[in-house]
Amino acid sequence: MENNKILVVDDDPTILKLYGMTFLREGFEVISALSAEEALELLQDEKIHVMFLDLKLPGMDGIELCAQIKKDMPMTIIHAVTGYASIFELTDCKEAGFDDYFKKPVKIKTLVKAAKDAFEKINRWKTG
Amino acid sequence: MEILIAEDDLTSRRILEAVLFKWGYDVISVDNGNDAVDKLLEAKTPKLCLLDWIMPGKDGVDVCSIIRNQDNPVAHYIILLTSKAEKHDITKGLDSGADDYIIKPYDKNELKARINVGSRILKLQNAMAEKEKFKGVLEMSGAICHELNQPLMVISGYSDILLMDCLEDHPQYKTIKEINKQSNRMGSITRKLMRITKYKTKTYLKTNIVDIEEA
Repeated sequence: MENNKILVVDDDPTILKLYGMTFLREGFEVISALSAEEALELLQDEKIHVMFLDLKLPGMDGIELCAQIKKDMPMTIIHAVTGYASIFELTDCKEAGFDDYFKKPVKIKTLVKAAKDAFEKINRWKTG
Repeated sequence: MEILIAEDDLTSRRILEAVLFKWGYDVISVDNGNDAVDKLLEAKTPKLCLLDWIMPGKDGVDVCSIIRNQDNPVAHYIILLTSKAEKHDITKGLDSGADDYIIKPYDKNELKARINVGSRILKLQNAMAEKEKFKGVLEMSGAICHELNQPLMVISGYSDILLMDCLEDHPQYKTIKEINKQSNRMGSITRKLMRITKYKTKTYLKTNIVDIEEA
C-alpha cells in the first residue's frame, strides 16, 4: 500500500487535532508529535516523507529538527508553519532545508494542497 | 528645530531672537522663569533652551532644578546665560541640571557653536529614542503574532472545515461564514504586524497608537 503518512509537529495539542482532522478527511494518515525529540523518536520506526513543523518548539526548535531530518532523509518534503518569524529566521529556514513556509493562520485548503503537491512530487521521483 | 529663550532684558531677548532666527531656529521666547518652566513642562519632545540665570520669579537655576526633578523628565538641552564668571557659580548651574553655560557678554561664534552642540545631542537623543521605540514595537508585535496566531489558526481552520462540510442553505452557514471571514481579517492584521519596518503612529481619540497600515 502506498505510503500516505504525514508527520505534524506542534507543541499545541489543539493545532495537532486540527491537522489530524484536516488530513484524515483527505485520506492521509497523520502521525503527530508535541516536540522535536518526540518526532525524531517516531521517525526511527516510521517512514514518513511529508511533514509540517512548527518552528517554535520546546527543547529543540523546528529549524534544527528540519536540518536533522534532511541530513538523514534529504528527499523528505518539509513545510514550516509558524505563528511568527523574523526575516532572520526565514533565512535560517531556507538554510535548514525547509521546502516551503506558511504563516499561521493557514487556510485548510492551502495545507491540503501543500500535502497533495508534496506526495505528487515524491511519486514523480519514484516513478521517474 | 525649536529653541526656547528665557531672558528678562528686552534688548538682549530681541537680539537673541533675531540671531537665532537667522540661524534657522523657530524661536519661542519668555521673559521670566515661571513661564519658562511652564513651556518646558508642557513640551512633549526635548527642546533646546537658553535660560538667563537672573530673572524675575524663578531664576535659571530654579528652572533647571524643577525640570530635572520631574518624575519622567523630558531631556531638554539647557544652556545657562550668566554674567557670573566665578567658578563656584558655574558649578552650581551645572549641578542644578544645566547642560552648558555661556558667560555674558557672549561671542556670537561661541554661542552658535554651543547651540550646535546642543542640537547635535538632541538629534542623537531623538534618534536613540526612536530606535528604542521601534525595538519595543517589534518585540510587542512579535509577541502578539506568536500568541494570537495559534488560537486564530484553530478558529480559522475549524471554520474552514465546517464550511466545506456545510451546504449553503444550512441555517448556520452564514454564521460560520462570518466567523471564518472575521478570523481571516484578524489573520491579515497579524500579517501586517509581522511586516512592520518602521515606527509610525496615528491619532486614536486622544492618544497615539502604532499605525500598522503605514509602519
